Amino acid sequence: MSTQTPDTDSENEQPSSTSPQERRMAEKQARKEQREADEAAAANEIQGETVELKVFRYDPEIEGKEEPRFDSFTVPFEKGMTVLDALIYARDEYDSSLTFRHSCRQAVCGSDAFFVNGSQRLGCQTQIADLDGPVRVEPLPHQDVVKDLVVEMDHFYDQMESVDPFFDPDETPDDELEEQRQDRENREKVKLSTRCIWCGACMSSCNIAAGDNKYLGPAAINKAYRFYMDEREGENKRQERLEIIEAEHGVWRCQTQFSCTNVCPKDIPLTDHIQELKREAVKQNLKFW
Amino acid sequence: MSQSYDRGLIEDFGRWREFTAGMWAWVFHKFTGWVLIGYLFTHIAVLSTSMQGAKTFNSTIQGLESLALVRLLEVGLLAVAVFHILNGIRLLFVDLGVGLESQDKSFYASLVLTGIIVVASVPTFVSGAF
Amino acid sequence: MAQRYSSFSSGSTAWLLQRITAAFLVIVLAFHFFQLHFVTHAYEIEFAGSQARMENVGYFVTMVLFLVTATFHGVNGVYNALVNQGIDGIQKRVVQIVLGAAALLLVVQGIRVANTLAGF
Repeated sequence: MSTQTPDTDSENEQPSSTSPQERRMAEKQARKEQREADEAAAANEIQGETVELKVFRYDPEIEGKEEPRFDSFTVPFEKGMTVLDALIYARDEYDSSLTFRHSCRQAVCGSDAFFVNGSQRLGCQTQIADLDGPVRVEPLPHQDVVKDLVVEMDHFYDQMESVDPFFDPDETPDDELEEQRQDRENREKVKLSTRCIWCGACMSSCNIAAGDNKYLGPAAINKAYRFYMDEREGENKRQERLEIIEAEHGVWRCQTQFSCTNVCPKDIPLTDHIQELKREAVKQNLKFW
Repeated sequence: MSQSYDRGLIEDFGRWREFTAGMWAWVFHKFTGWVLIGYLFTHIAVLSTSMQGAKTFNSTIQGLESLALVRLLEVGLLAVAVFHILNGIRLLFVDLGVGLESQDKSFYASLVLTGIIVVASVPTFVSGAF
Repeated sequence: MAQRYSSFSSGSTAWLLQRITAAFLVIVLAFHFFQLHFVTHAYEIEFAGSQARMENVGYFVTMVLFLVTATFHGVNGVYNALVNQGIDGIQKRVVQIVLGAAALLLVVQGIRVANTLAGF
């Protein structure tokens, strides 16, 4: 409080010149311009190969960003660089508001499925070197966009939950800790179906799932396959699972377009599994006659 | 967070360049299916002229067959039917779980075979019309 | 929590019938084209010739079966295409009624034509 008096004095002494605050603002503005110029120069002067990213941007909460648009980023290319690496570089160096989900960076967590150059892929699994530039990165199609590359996953998770994606045997062993062993052959049968990482790429690629909101979709049917084919669960649960699988919006909606099988980052033969369940449902129904 | 952006159908025909073999097979199969069921209705309608006697039937059929446009449409119908048959066989195998890993090749094969059969049939289909 | 789907309307019968009619139609449609474009040219078709073919009971039965299976396969195919588009509730009911009526009409009229051509 004591400093206020001299301040008032000095303001009176130089009424024509700028106030200290205005001077500081001007300096700050100059520094900002300088920094931006430096950054632009740095971007222009990136040594060696670069890759151009075109990234879908949308943010309903910020004025001027409610309209979806594409932003371009020029990122220095490194050998072995993935789409996720490039996105991280763009976020860290150019625009910290660029938003996308990612976690393990090794195709296990399933959180960074994007629509890259017209196909559903995991950002961390897709090599920039394998793509034609400019690399166009969009959020997964057929899901609502929350912000930038982040999509609403609730519907996908609902479909996954609806097939009871957990081991649920009719009878549990008397001893709580006793193992419930699966024989080798049965394990081999379900092996590929257990690879699913819930990334949602298949569901997003499926033309039928896009039109019919009730369709279980490839991932959920694959999950159902994984447990339906598990011989340890028992007849009751098996019957319950079959009812979900063969409901109107279950396996019958699959049109064998192979889109899901083509995009699955874990190479699960999704169409094979869906087809096998169709035949299984037909067989079971013929038996009941 | 309550707001989100619905982009509608992304993989619509605007993205046809990015369609894969299986997707194209489905698009063609569906299109040819619509044409065939549409044709079935008109086919029965044309044949219904037989109920007004042999004369009407003959003049209708021959009147139609004398039109070059009808002959060309028949070639189109053949193409549609042959593709639907060949891709249908492919789909039956897919349903039986046979050869799913070469489903793209079998689609291309049915396309090529359709082309060959149609081209080879053109002389028979248009003879006398031009 | 996700909704549970009713198992009441099982699609397995329709699915199986669609495949069985497909297998039948593959052969009969190919035969039909061959018969009426190559053996007999389309422009040569006359009432008398059609009658001669239709008087053969085997041919007559095949053609009627052809009509019925093709109608089922086609109409069921159209119905599936619409369900895949996500039609539901009243819309679906209307589609079922309209398609069912169209199919019935087609089969009835087709059999009347077959009878006329065969001279029954």
